[in-house]
Amino acid sequence: MTFVPATLLPLTVAIPMVFCAVLLATAHLLPSRVPDILALLAALAVAILSAVIAVQAADKPLVYWFGGWEPRDGVHLGIGFSVDAASGWIAAFIGLLYALTFVFAWGFFDRTHGHFHILMLLFLAAMVGFCFTRDMFNLFVWFEVMSVAAFALTAYHLAESSLAGAINFTVVNSLAGFLMLGGIGLIYAQTGTLDFDGIAAAVAQGGRSPVVAGAFCLVAAALMIKGAIVPFQFWLADAHAVAPSPVSVIFSGSMVSLGLFGLAKVSAVVFGGSDQVQGALPALLIGLGSVTALLGGWMALLQRHLKRMLAFSTISHAGIMLTGLGALSAGGTGGMLVYVVGHGLVKGALFMIAGILLATQASIDEIALRGLGRRIWPAGIAMALAGFLLCGLPLGALDQGTRLVQGALSQQGHGIALAATAIGAALTGAAVLRAAGRIFLGLGPDPGDEAGAPSADEREKANRPLWLMLAPCCILLAVDIVLPPDLIAHALPRAVSAFTHRPETGPLGEGPGWLPWFSVAAALAGAGYGLFRKRLPPVLVRPVHVTQSAPTRALEILHSGLIGDYAAWLAVGVAVIAAVLAMV
Amino acid sequence: MSAVTNVLPYAVAAWLFGVGLYGIATSRNFIHLVGCLGVCQSATYVLLLGLGYRWGSIAPIFYDHPPGTPAVDPVMQALVLTDIVVGATLTALLLVLTVQAYKRGGSLDPGKLRPMRAGGQTDRDRSSDRGRPAA
Repeated sequence: MTFVPATLLPLTVAIPMVFCAVLLATAHLLPSRVPDILALLAALAVAILSAVIAVQAADKPLVYWFGGWEPRDGVHLGIGFSVDAASGWIAAFIGLLYALTFVFAWGFFDRTHGHFHILMLLFLAAMVGFCFTRDMFNLFVWFEVMSVAAFALTAYHLAESSLAGAINFTVVNSLAGFLMLGGIGLIYAQTGTLDFDGIAAAVAQGGRSPVVAGAFCLVAAALMIKGAIVPFQFWLADAHAVAPSPVSVIFSGSMVSLGLFGLAKVSAVVFGGSDQVQGALPALLIGLGSVTALLGGWMALLQRHLKRMLAFSTISHAGIMLTGLGALSAGGTGGMLVYVVGHGLVKGALFMIAGILLATQASIDEIALRGLGRRIWPAGIAMALAGFLLCGLPLGALDQGTRLVQGALSQQGHGIALAATAIGAALTGAAVLRAAGRIFLGLGPDPGDEAGAPSADEREKANRPLWLMLAPCCILLAVDIVLPPDLIAHALPRAVSAFTHRPETGPLGEGPGWLPWFSVAAALAGAGYGLFRKRLPPVLVRPVHVTQSAPTRALEILHSGLIGDYAAWLAVGVAVIAAVLAMV
Repeated sequence: MSAVTNVLPYAVAAWLFGVGLYGIATSRNFIHLVGCLGVCQSATYVLLLGLGYRWGSIAPIFYDHPPGTPAVDPVMQALVLTDIVVGATLTALLLVLTVQAYKRGGSLDPGKLRPMRAGGQTDRDRSSDRGRPAA
């Protein structure tokens, strides 16, 4: 019997699902550490299987049709998985992130009958299915499974803040699900199929059609809501700030970027043949992405609640990914894919450090924590390193992704977007470095605008040794740094061509080499300004203070925490996408 | 069929979604808000059924009809069925969250239950509950 790699595809989803069912049935009988071990094994199995699949798919995407319902005579009735190398590696990265999160959360949830692990494994299965599917409706199903698991995990602590955050998250993302389903209905009515390739062929033949544009508008809005793009970003800060820290690792590390990964796939493959959509994409994605990068970075700098700060930083980085996507070139898409992995590793590590502070120092408030981190100085080193990587220190996968995105943007002359990516990264890096300086070095007696930002007292269980929490965090950072750049650069053009179904182009260009250094310098300057405001001459401080105070307050009022406001902004966002599509 | 009956389902769907969204945007009560979300979701039911319907066709069951008889689109029915399941899950989950939020915050007003902001109470006095889900 010969080994057929395609038969592995359903296993990547089936394994976490089966573990999920077994845990649900037996968790109340098992000793308390067994769910931890089983969940860890399942996540590792998914990571290894996905990596094997990705290697096998390097030459040609693997395809698996459930129940043997292969397309006949161009009619697609069955539902299939189709994995190219890029999707496979993204799934492997997600499996690794889950495995390390399970280590980080070891013993975190004691008397829970394994509910945390069950929800997390369901979440993992949904993410992998989302990466692998080639069917629009199947994509929607995974989208919803992912959402429902995420809603329940956000509210896991059942405290007042986390409930309010979870309700906002649930309502906004449910609306995203409805929009997506409406879009899928429209595209099915137009093309008569739900298969990616089938729709792509029908769309390419059909010419300009308002139904196709409408379908894209709805599906893109849904995926951008998941990806936290302005003006859909409001739910993210509420949800990520209040979720338990192991859950926040997964949210920021993979869920948000998966929304954009889905958008990349849908816009390149499914709507690749529609001139109207392709014409609207650069303006839409680069415009929204640049605004998101800047707004997220600025908001991050104004926070004192560490997890909320990291949440806004994720918004900023999602914006940078979107600009890469908007370049509509192999370099931009490839850069975005590398960026997803690099960002997930670094941001996951940062949320773990926030969790370590919550567990060991019983606070998450940057100002309350001033100087308290000295006793756990190794965490401080990791946080500073992660902060430098975040703002663009030329090292590791995140930097490679940044360079590729910036290269694609500068090739096409998008100067403003290029500046936005550099400044957005610098702002988020400045926020993280300022917090690291204040918490671990005790710098900066005078809090500025961030003193008025929302915060809440939180506590997570302090029952784990420091090394157990710090080890997965350091592994994440190490993986980001040691991922071989030459190998990635070599394999990327072919992987992108298989991902976007476009012919292969030559080697991908990188951005100007000084730009990451500019971001690092700007981040250091920003962090220094935040910490030593009192000691700087007033000539420097006053103009900055006068010009930024009013817009700062306006921004904080805008992020009101009121679900009604979020719904109104959602309507505005859909209208913006529709307007850009209509103008092409 | 006439132009009116062709456009009507889409107009109704758009209207329902808009009305539901308006309800969410102005709601002062979480249970009312969950209802509005249900209205938004009905828009997707109407849209999908409108897209799949064929005038003068039978239901897609060929037990007592010869194969080849014009039938409405069964795929859309499958989509609506899944949609209903999703809707039930979401409504149940949101109502659970609402009940828990009411137990802790003593209010159903979204304005009083904003995450981490003034208006809601601080969690300071309940911090001993942290890290442990309620049974």
